[in-house]
Amino acid sequence: MTGHPAIEVSGVSRWYGNVVAVNDVTFAVQPGVTGLLGPNGAGKSTLLHMMAGFLRPSSGDVRILGESTWGRPELYRRVGIVLEREAVYGGLTGYEFVRVNARLHGLDNPHEATMRAIELVDLGAAKDRRTGTYSKGMKQRIKIAAALVHDPAVLLLDEPFNGADPRQRLHLMDLLRQMAREGRAVMFSSHILEEMERLGDGVLVIVAGRLAASGDFRAIRRLMTDRPHEFLVESTDNRVLAQALLGDLAVSGASLEGDRLTVRTDDFTRFTEQLPRIAQAARVTVTGLSPLDESLESVFEYLVAR
Amino acid sequence: MIPVIFGLTLRQLVRQRRTLLLVLLAVLPVLLALLFRFTAEDVTPARFAANGLFAGFIVNLVLPLTALVVGTAALGQEIEDGTVVYLLGKPLPRWMIVIAKVAAAWLVTAAVVVSCVVASGLIVLTGEEGYGLVLAFVVAVLAGSLTYSALFVGLSIRFGRALIIGLAYVFVWEALVSLFIPGVRFLSVRAYTLGVADAVTDAPARIFEASLAPGPAALLLTVLTVLITAYAIRRLNAYEVSERV
Amino acid sequence: MTTPPNPQATPPAEAATSNIYDLGYRRYEGERLGRRDAVLALYRESLRGAFGLGRSTASKVGPAILIGIALVPALVQLIIAAVIPIEAELIRAEDYYGLITLVLALFCAVVAPDIVGRDQRNRSLTLYFSRAISRTDYALGKLAAMTTAMLAITLAPQVLLFAGNALGTQDFGGFVADEWTQIFPIVFTATIGSALIASIGVVVAAQTPQRAFATVGIIVAFVLPLFIASILVQEIGTEVLRPAVFISPLDLLDGTTVWLFGGTLEDSVADQAGFHPATYLAGCLVITTIAVGLLLRRYAKVQA
Repeated sequence: MTGHPAIEVSGVSRWYGNVVAVNDVTFAVQPGVTGLLGPNGAGKSTLLHMMAGFLRPSSGDVRILGESTWGRPELYRRVGIVLEREAVYGGLTGYEFVRVNARLHGLDNPHEATMRAIELVDLGAAKDRRTGTYSKGMKQRIKIAAALVHDPAVLLLDEPFNGADPRQRLHLMDLLRQMAREGRAVMFSSHILEEMERLGDGVLVIVAGRLAASGDFRAIRRLMTDRPHEFLVESTDNRVLAQALLGDLAVSGASLEGDRLTVRTDDFTRFTEQLPRIAQAARVTVTGLSPLDESLESVFEYLVAR
Repeated sequence: MIPVIFGLTLRQLVRQRRTLLLVLLAVLPVLLALLFRFTAEDVTPARFAANGLFAGFIVNLVLPLTALVVGTAALGQEIEDGTVVYLLGKPLPRWMIVIAKVAAAWLVTAAVVVSCVVASGLIVLTGEEGYGLVLAFVVAVLAGSLTYSALFVGLSIRFGRALIIGLAYVFVWEALVSLFIPGVRFLSVRAYTLGVADAVTDAPARIFEASLAPGPAALLLTVLTVLITAYAIRRLNAYEVSERV
Repeated sequence: MTTPPNPQATPPAEAATSNIYDLGYRRYEGERLGRRDAVLALYRESLRGAFGLGRSTASKVGPAILIGIALVPALVQLIIAAVIPIEAELIRAEDYYGLITLVLALFCAVVAPDIVGRDQRNRSLTLYFSRAISRTDYALGKLAAMTTAMLAITLAPQVLLFAGNALGTQDFGGFVADEWTQIFPIVFTATIGSALIASIGVVVAAQTPQRAFATVGIIVAFVLPLFIASILVQEIGTEVLRPAVFISPLDLLDGTTVWLFGGTLEDSVADQAGFHPATYLAGCLVITTIAVGLLLRRYAKVQA
C-alpha cells in the first residue's frame, strides 16, 4: 500500500434538505474485515454509497486508497461494490454478466478473470443459465463475482447477508475472510448482530447518522465503564452471597428471582477481583458466573438508547 | 468501452416486449401502402406518399413514438431497476455511457422507422420515376431520430417519469402547440425533420407542409442534438445513486 | 440472544412465566354489509381516487389541468357573454366535442391507469377477490367509476356552455324555453361518449400495472385509429376503404354527436366516409360492448 488507509472518511456529512442522514462521521479502515453496524435507517447505506462514489458528501471527504471517491471513475479499478438491490441483467447468462463487467473494467483477459470469479463464488454449474432464472442467493453470488472479477483491493458490500440462508451465509463469510486474508479491505454493512460477532475484525457502529463506536466490539464494551455490567451468578447459597456482595463497593445491585442471582456492577475489574474473596469469606462456593450483556446486542441497545 | 455498452444496450432493447410492439406499429404504414396500391383511384402516388404516409403518418406518429419508447428505455430502464450501477461503477468516464446509449437508441429507432419508410415508399412509388422522395425521408428520419434519441435519453436521466413527460412533449407540445402557434414551430423536432426532408427532395414543400426552411431546420437539429447531449452528460456526471429508488 | 445458563431452574408456578394478556380485543359483532355495498364502496373510492381526492396533491394535478383545459372554451364563452352582449352563440354544443376530443382521451389516459393500475401494482387484487364482490363486480365497478369521471368532464363544460349561451342571449328564460330540447342530445352524447372512451381506456389500462405504459397504450389506442382512418378515408378515399372509419372510436363519436344534434357533418372523416350516421352510433355501441367484454375476460383470468 502507499501508506494511505484503505478507506478514509473525514468529517463526512450528508443531508437531504432538512434530514441529516450522516452526521459528521470520521474513521479510517485498514485491510481486513470491517463491519458497519446499525439499525435500519441509521445511515449505513448512505455511508456505503458515499464510499462507493455513488453519492456525494454534503460536507467532508471520503477517500479510498488516498483518492477522493466522487467523480473519479479511475478509482473503480481497485474497488468492487455489491449493493443491496437485487437487480442484475436478467437476459444475460451468469457467465456473460460477469464477463461484461470484466470487459467494462478493461481487463486484458476477461474470459480468464470471469472463470476465476465464478469459481470463487461456486457458480460454475449455473454459469450458462440466464440470471433471470437464478434464485435470490445465486443472484447475490453472481453480483459478488462481478464485483471481484477485477481483483479489487477494496470491497464494499451493502447488507450482503440479507435474505441468505445459513449455508450461503457461511460460504459468504468464508469468502470475505479469505479476501481479507489476501490483503484486501472488506467492508460490509448489516443490522444483524450475529453476523458482526462472527465476522467483523472491527466494527463501526452507526446510530442515527453518527458514529457511535468503533473498534473491536468486545473492546468497545470494555470502554464503556460508565455502564453497569450484569452477571448471572450461580452458587451454593445465593441469598447469603447476595447479602455479602452488596457490602462491596464494586456491586451496585443484586437481585434474587427465585433461584437466579443477578449482580450489577459499575466496576468490572474490581468485581472480578473481589467476587472470589467475598464468596470465600461467606463460605459460599461459586459454581457459575456468566456475563449477561457481553453480546453485541446489549452494546447496540445501549448505544441506541443513549 | 463504448462498443461494449452499445452492444449491451442493443441486446437489452431488442429483448423487450415493447420493441416488438413498435415493430408492429411500423408495419402499419406498409399495410397502408399496400391498401393504397390496390385500391387508390385518383390520388397521385407522390402526393400520397409525401403527405399522407411519410409526413402525415410516419414522421407525425411512428417516428416520435418509436423514439420515445426506445429512448426512454435505453438508459431509463437501468436507472429504474438499479442495474445502472454496473455502468457507473466502472473506470470509464460517464460521457461514454451517454454516447453509447444515444447511439444504441438511435440505431434501433432508425432501423425500425427507416425500414418502414423504405418498404412503404417502395410499394407506393413503384413505377413512378424518382425515388427521391423516399431518399429524402430516409435522410430526414435518420436526422430526426438522432435528435429524438438524444432528447429522450436526456429526459430519462433527468426525470424518473421520462416516458410520461416525453409523451406530453410529443402529443401535446408538438401536436397541438405547433399547429396553433406558428411562431413556436422552431421548437419542434418534427418540424425540423420535415424541413430536412424538404432539403433533400425537389418535390414542392407544400405537399407535406414543411413549415421550416431546410437550412434552419438542419441547423437547429444539429444544435439541439449537441446541446441536449451535452446536457445529458452533465446530468449523468452529477447523478447520484440513492439506496432505495 | 443470550439465555442464562441455569440447568437446575424449573419454572415456578405458571403465573410467573407465561401469560396471555387481555388487551381488550373484541370481535366485530356489528352489521356486515353485503355485496351491493361493497361494490358501491369500490365505485366511490375509485371515483375519488380518479380526481386525486384523498391522495397526494401531485395526483390531483393531472386531472385538474385537463379538466381546466376542457372547460376553457366554455369559460371563454361565458366571459364573453357576460361582457359583450351578442345574440349569437359562439360555440355550439355539437362543435364543442370536436374541440376537446383529444383532451377527453388524454384525461382518460391519465386517469384510467390510476383507477385500475394501483390495485395491480399493490397486489390488492387478492384482497378484493377474497371479499364479497366477484371478479365481474370488480371490473364493472371500476368501469362505472371511470365512466362517471368521464361524464363529469364531458358534462361540466356543456352545462357551462348552455348557461353561457343562455346568458349571452340576454333572455335567459326564452333561451331555455327554446333550447331545452338540447338537453337530450347533450346528455345522450355525453353518456355514449363517456362509456365509449372509458371502456377502451380501462380495458387497455388493465393490461399492465405500469402507469406509463398504460398511458401510452391508451393514447395510441385512440390516436392511431384516427390517423389510419384519416389516411384511408380522406387521403386515399376510395369507396372500398370507407369502412375504415369504424376502427376509430373518436371519429365514430364525432359522427354520432353531430347527428344527434341534428347538425351536418363537415369535412370530417365521418362525413367523407359517407355512411348513415345511425351506423356510427351502432359502431360506438359495438366497440363499447367489445371493450367491456374484453375487460371482463381480463379480470376473469388475471392472477390474483
